[in-house]
Amino acid sequence: MLPSHHRNGVTSGYAVGCNNLWHWAGPVSPSTNVLHVDRNPYYGGAEAAFSLQEAEEWANRVNNETGDHPFEDASVRLGDGSPEVGTQLSASRAYTLSLSPQLIYARSQLLPTLVSSKVHRQLEFQAVGSWWIHRPGDSGDKRLYRVPGSREDIFADDMISVKSKRTLMRFIRHIGPSQLGADEAEGEGSSLQEDVGDASLTEYLTSKFKVPDELHAPLLSLCLSQVSPQQTSAQFAVTRIKRHLASLGVYGPGFGSLAVKWGGGSEISQVGCRALAVGGGVYVLNTGINSLDLPAEDTTNEDSRIQLLLSNDEVIKTKFVVGSNWDFPKAARLSCDCDRVARSISVVSSSLESLFPATAEGGPVPVGAVVAFPGASLGRADDSPPVYILVHSSETGESPTGQCVLYGSINMPGSDGQALINSAVQQLLESAGGPNAKVLWSLRYTQWGRGETRSAQPAISAERVIRLPPPSLDLAFDDALIDTVKDVWQAIMGDEATDHEFMTFEDREGAYEE
Amino acid sequence: MSESTSANTAKPSSSVKLVLLGEAAVGKSSLVLRFVNNDFQENKEPTIGAAFLTQKCSLPTRTIKFEIWDTAGQERFASLAPMYYRNAQAALVVYDVTKPSSLTKAKHWVAELQRQASPGIVIALVGNKLDLTNDANEAAGEAQPEAEHESSPADGDEATEETQEEPDVSNGDARKVPTREASAYAEEEGLLFFETSAKTGHNVVDVFTAIANAIPESSLKSGRGAGAGTGQTSLSGGRPAEDSRVNLGERGAATAKEGCAC
Repeated sequence: MLPSHHRNGVTSGYAVGCNNLWHWAGPVSPSTNVLHVDRNPYYGGAEAAFSLQEAEEWANRVNNETGDHPFEDASVRLGDGSPEVGTQLSASRAYTLSLSPQLIYARSQLLPTLVSSKVHRQLEFQAVGSWWIHRPGDSGDKRLYRVPGSREDIFADDMISVKSKRTLMRFIRHIGPSQLGADEAEGEGSSLQEDVGDASLTEYLTSKFKVPDELHAPLLSLCLSQVSPQQTSAQFAVTRIKRHLASLGVYGPGFGSLAVKWGGGSEISQVGCRALAVGGGVYVLNTGINSLDLPAEDTTNEDSRIQLLLSNDEVIKTKFVVGSNWDFPKAARLSCDCDRVARSISVVSSSLESLFPATAEGGPVPVGAVVAFPGASLGRADDSPPVYILVHSSETGESPTGQCVLYGSINMPGSDGQALINSAVQQLLESAGGPNAKVLWSLRYTQWGRGETRSAQPAISAERVIRLPPPSLDLAFDDALIDTVKDVWQAIMGDEATDHEFMTFEDREGAYEE
Repeated sequence: MSESTSANTAKPSSSVKLVLLGEAAVGKSSLVLRFVNNDFQENKEPTIGAAFLTQKCSLPTRTIKFEIWDTAGQERFASLAPMYYRNAQAALVVYDVTKPSSLTKAKHWVAELQRQASPGIVIALVGNKLDLTNDANEAAGEAQPEAEHESSPADGDEATEETQEEPDVSNGDARKVPTREASAYAEEEGLLFFETSAKTGHNVVDVFTAIANAIPESSLKSGRGAGAGTGQTSLSGGRPAEDSRVNLGERGAATAKEGCAC
């Protein structure tokens, strides 16, 4: 039973939110009550993290409730069928497998937001160190090469010719802050647009800097672009490479991006829920919206609130409803303007130590690595999309010591994409896993969401039904999300909204003293 | 968030994450308010406004800095998020001595802790609102028991002692949960056990002192645990030099030159 002011409508303002980004804006104001209902019995929605057993339950849920989740075709496999796999796998709860292992660039607006809302104190951040690229056909076993991710790396690299290094440095100098504006956030958009025009990354690198072909794929990997270099726009790529470079060293030497320990986005989502609760909001798991009735046309009526029937048979009246398409009852959903990608989560029996070298003296031990497999390196055409594998060491708390979790993704849904991810996982283990490395357990699924080109704007209707965009499919945290949340917050707060209050939560007196 | 040595004393200092659990309105936040601010509010609203509070507890050989996580009411309509339990080294499971159903609920939370939390977690079962019973006055004369605590998390002896001292329900006071019933349960499950009054302050500091004493030194001193599930380490002092943690507060420390983007 919900608190009486939620049932009877005693107080003036209501907002019902169902999506995990929305709860951040939870403590909106004393005059607004926030009720957050979540159809799932677990926290985090599309960003949840699971034990092995929970992951299996999730896979069944996704397959049985087609259309109710931004996921489909989920399947769990236990190793390769060999008997020793069963004994190497630890207890279910020794794993925390994340649906949102995104890395967070040090320059992401998310970090200052987590700090201003003070929830960063409940999170633990770790470093994502090296980028690797798969190159087939080279002699010997070594098929993964470290992508030189900084100027120092380029100087030290012994694979790149002096001539190529010169072209690369010219490119990096060109896009550096002195050339294209000191701050990557604002201001230099027009000059970047003039500079790159509509060129693809390939055209831009070749025509303007004569960067040799073999360096295009490594540069693409630094953008985390999910299409081939030919299909990646130079504008997109330059913005992302700038972000990569500008993020280096911000929180310590030798790395520029972060992972959140214990399951990435799942943790952020949980501290968000907690912030909502601390701010006086109510969070209810295992409760969805069964039907939604808009108020009658007659606007003179005092009670112009939306009526919701919840799955626990309670009726709620609210001024605003906020949610992603999947949170609304079937009848109120819109057709999904979405992209689909294939993803997998694999637990492997190797610590893959060679992928986590110390990247700078005095820096933290990296816990994450990015491994890119260009389409061509997996035997596909040059314009085939790359496979990315985010590798998380056991230091992330996601797997027991001696094992790693591989998060695979490719912008190609279905069995074709899964086959390529699988091939990439095998190549990775052969290259870096040692003789006995194997996949102990894996989860494969298709994810629906927002690709690089789609709008992150929320749709706010006159009836005060606010639809959040589909979750981002980006492999790095997408800052557009913060603007989305802010738009929603402003829509609800109306005149009460002032910029400096957004996501700024005060401590209770004495709450955090030394 | 953690420190290995405090500045003005030689005593080692360790942070301990403590979580609060229990039915709504049993006085979880009031107990913490009494412990942290030595304050009590008669008609306290349900908890909002603080993610966690901190308070130091000085022992003869070391200082324990409690980081006390309140449920913020999240226990009402959902199970608590996994992160709430993670790395918790201690838990206070509170019930109301005037409300039998709250002890049932407390048992549920103890089971949940045994399922979700680190195996070595120190759990204290606390019957609050002792001021509403006839034991309130007699209780004031009790001996302070915490000095007897060594590092045993199961504190059956002390609980039994208390049982013998205190009479059960009589004179029509508001007590509905006999001390014996709760202490027997606590002994069975290896929990510390106290009856308290957040209103008068009776036994409140004692609970926290007993918890501080019950936390094994090894779990405070040891370094990082071996991967997932071992918990207990990220909040403790004396972390090994090789660390993977990134401190967001250190932004700018190493950024005189922003990497290679010169």
